[in-house]
Amino acid sequence: MHAATKLQDLHALRHAVRNLSERHDRPASRHGRLAFGISAIDAALHGGLTIGALHEVRCGFARDIGAATGFLSAILAGLSAQKHGRILWIDDPASSLDAGHLFPAGLAQLGLDPARFVIVRPVDLQGAMWAASEAVKCAGLTAIILHLKGNPAGFDMTATRRLMLRAQKNGVLTFLLRQSGAEEASAAATRWCVRPAPSNGAADFEPGIGMMRLSLVLERNRNGPTGQWSISWNHSKRAFEHVPEDFVSRLHSPADRPDSPPQMGQVVALERAS
Amino acid sequence: MNGRPDAPPIIAIAKIKNAMRICALDEHARTLGLHKGQTLSDARALVPSLECFDLDMAGDGNLLAGIAGWCDRYTPLVAIDGSDGLFLDISGCTHLFGGENALVEDIVTRLRAQGFSVRAAIADTPGAAWAMARYGTETIVPAEKTRDMIGPLPLAALRLEAQTVTDLNRMGLKTIDCVADVARAPLATRFGSDVLRRLDQALGREDEVISPLTPVPELSAERRFADPIALQDDIEHTIRQLASHLKTSFEQRGVGARRLEMRLFRVDGQVQSLAVRASTPLRDADRILSLFKERISALHDGLDAGFGFDLVRLNILECDAYDSRQIDLIDGVGPEDETHALIDRLGARLGTDRVRQFARADTHIPERSFGTVPASLARPGKQDEAGFDLGLTSSQTLPLIRPVFFLNHPEPVEAIAGVPEGPPIRFRWRKALYEVTRSEGPERIACEWWRDGRNALSRDYFRVEDQVGYRFWLFRHGLYERETATPQWYMHGLFP
Repeated sequence: MHAATKLQDLHALRHAVRNLSERHDRPASRHGRLAFGISAIDAALHGGLTIGALHEVRCGFARDIGAATGFLSAILAGLSAQKHGRILWIDDPASSLDAGHLFPAGLAQLGLDPARFVIVRPVDLQGAMWAASEAVKCAGLTAIILHLKGNPAGFDMTATRRLMLRAQKNGVLTFLLRQSGAEEASAAATRWCVRPAPSNGAADFEPGIGMMRLSLVLERNRNGPTGQWSISWNHSKRAFEHVPEDFVSRLHSPADRPDSPPQMGQVVALERAS
Repeated sequence: MNGRPDAPPIIAIAKIKNAMRICALDEHARTLGLHKGQTLSDARALVPSLECFDLDMAGDGNLLAGIAGWCDRYTPLVAIDGSDGLFLDISGCTHLFGGENALVEDIVTRLRAQGFSVRAAIADTPGAAWAMARYGTETIVPAEKTRDMIGPLPLAALRLEAQTVTDLNRMGLKTIDCVADVARAPLATRFGSDVLRRLDQALGREDEVISPLTPVPELSAERRFADPIALQDDIEHTIRQLASHLKTSFEQRGVGARRLEMRLFRVDGQVQSLAVRASTPLRDADRILSLFKERISALHDGLDAGFGFDLVRLNILECDAYDSRQIDLIDGVGPEDETHALIDRLGARLGTDRVRQFARADTHIPERSFGTVPASLARPGKQDEAGFDLGLTSSQTLPLIRPVFFLNHPEPVEAIAGVPEGPPIRFRWRKALYEVTRSEGPERIACEWWRDGRNALSRDYFRVEDQVGYRFWLFRHGLYERETATPQWYMHGLFP
């Protein structure tokens, strides 16, 4: 009798846990996923980037904004082939002081139609946050990008959670592009850190500049493991390709000195003790 | 204007012809024998207790413009006349107020209640009304009696220059009757054509057009309240009602509203107007209301209702053809409609010019090769015609030669080039040093001499990559030795 009650309790608990974990998963995956085409990344994301969710793309410095925008544009180019809505780009006024503005010719070369962009430039952060939370309600949009600078105090956990919930409900791919900002807790489904990496030179012209190559860190992933990859753009296929990691350039930490501070995104999977 | 019984007469003074003279005076001062143009010292001698202050032309102008805005409640055609008058074209409006008499009564009573001294007259021509309001005693000049009624008025009532009036008076021509009866040709040769023109305008022989302050709306609906309303809910309810009244007019004309204006007339004479813009022609009252709701919530301190609004008007300033479509019964509102509604809402709250989209321009200079236009101004269904080359139709993809991010103002960098014409080897931008490992270029973009002038410098653009992998778009301003001796380098964009 006693054991049966315990077993019942255990079943009830397991059920509750399953419900909790599904609550995060189900509404998001209802709107589909956007595959990267790189098996390692798609495996970590369970098949691709969830479309009805908030994702954060972060870059450490203002000069990295080119890489972060390139990464975003490539994703959007893939998505805009499937969905025919407008793309809303919301600029926080502080962000455009440092990094400037989008250049339509560059977007067009990545396969994104600039005519589909709607640029919103509010006077303050409140306006930008309002515009984003209003836009996420509109299911006709292909994607929303909220471009912020740094980690403003007004944009907190509550604001990201609101965006996340509405994105889940309406199936709008929402990005938070955080320029020169540090890692911060948020309700986003994933957080990426993007840095440019040296290209290997053009195929037909050795001293020239090759296709864009990025070093990606998946710093946070709600429903899966994190990871770190190096990807490069294949312009003829208009898709990213995985570049095998160059292990030679990475040095092991010396044994006789204190360990270096841990870096984000490098997760070592140890075998379980039990 | 002054409530105190023992208040001294008030005058406004300004320096005219090297003396401080009276420019404006109140009724009290007039009864004491003061008049316009009198010097301040003379006036002080007559009335020692005189209270005077400097004339504020700009303030008076603003006040008059405010009154003109308020007069919009009677007719949309209101024009400002000089520094102290207004013309109202009331053709077709009088029946709304119960006839001409009642209209004049209403205007005068309300303005007096606001503390102004007013004279008003109605006539067939602006000239006759002006003459009667300033020099006559009657209020209404019937069409057939214009000649008889303005005849006895002095010549100054013809809006002539003071010098002309003096000259005519010297000749013994003192009233309008005198000039109306004499031979026209000698009068014109002697005193100029102005006298005859003004006379003809007053008598209706020549047309005179008044230019209204605000363009006349295409459609308009209004509601008056005997009991002023002040609550925002009431105002919103009224707007919704007015918008649904207009729906039949929209349908008859086959149009929808693109630009709308709401005017709220406060009891104390202040008028508030809020304008919104729609990216697609609108007919639906709820969508019109939601735009105004956003616009009201964007106001910093809300609507200042004061003692309430007694008239609410909805003006449709711009219309566009409305293409009626069959509503999809399964999907309901289409995604396009939803997006347009969002653009309108964002524009109403943040300002129409803050929601923009790209437009292409036909030039090679990078910063001029595109512009942005307000998204709500762009014509719907024409977004594909913006004309950006996507390279989707051609078999070959476009090379990646343009950055995705672009500095609005090129930033100077300190660069060292191996050869004067060559790419930079290293450069310093925003205090950080970059070692260039790869570079492509130059891509030479010449200036537009027809805009920048003959001596503007060409640019040599380079795409460079540094050791870490940053890819930049730099240019050298000016061709070495041909255009300038020491070319300056600039940072212009960031590649992915």
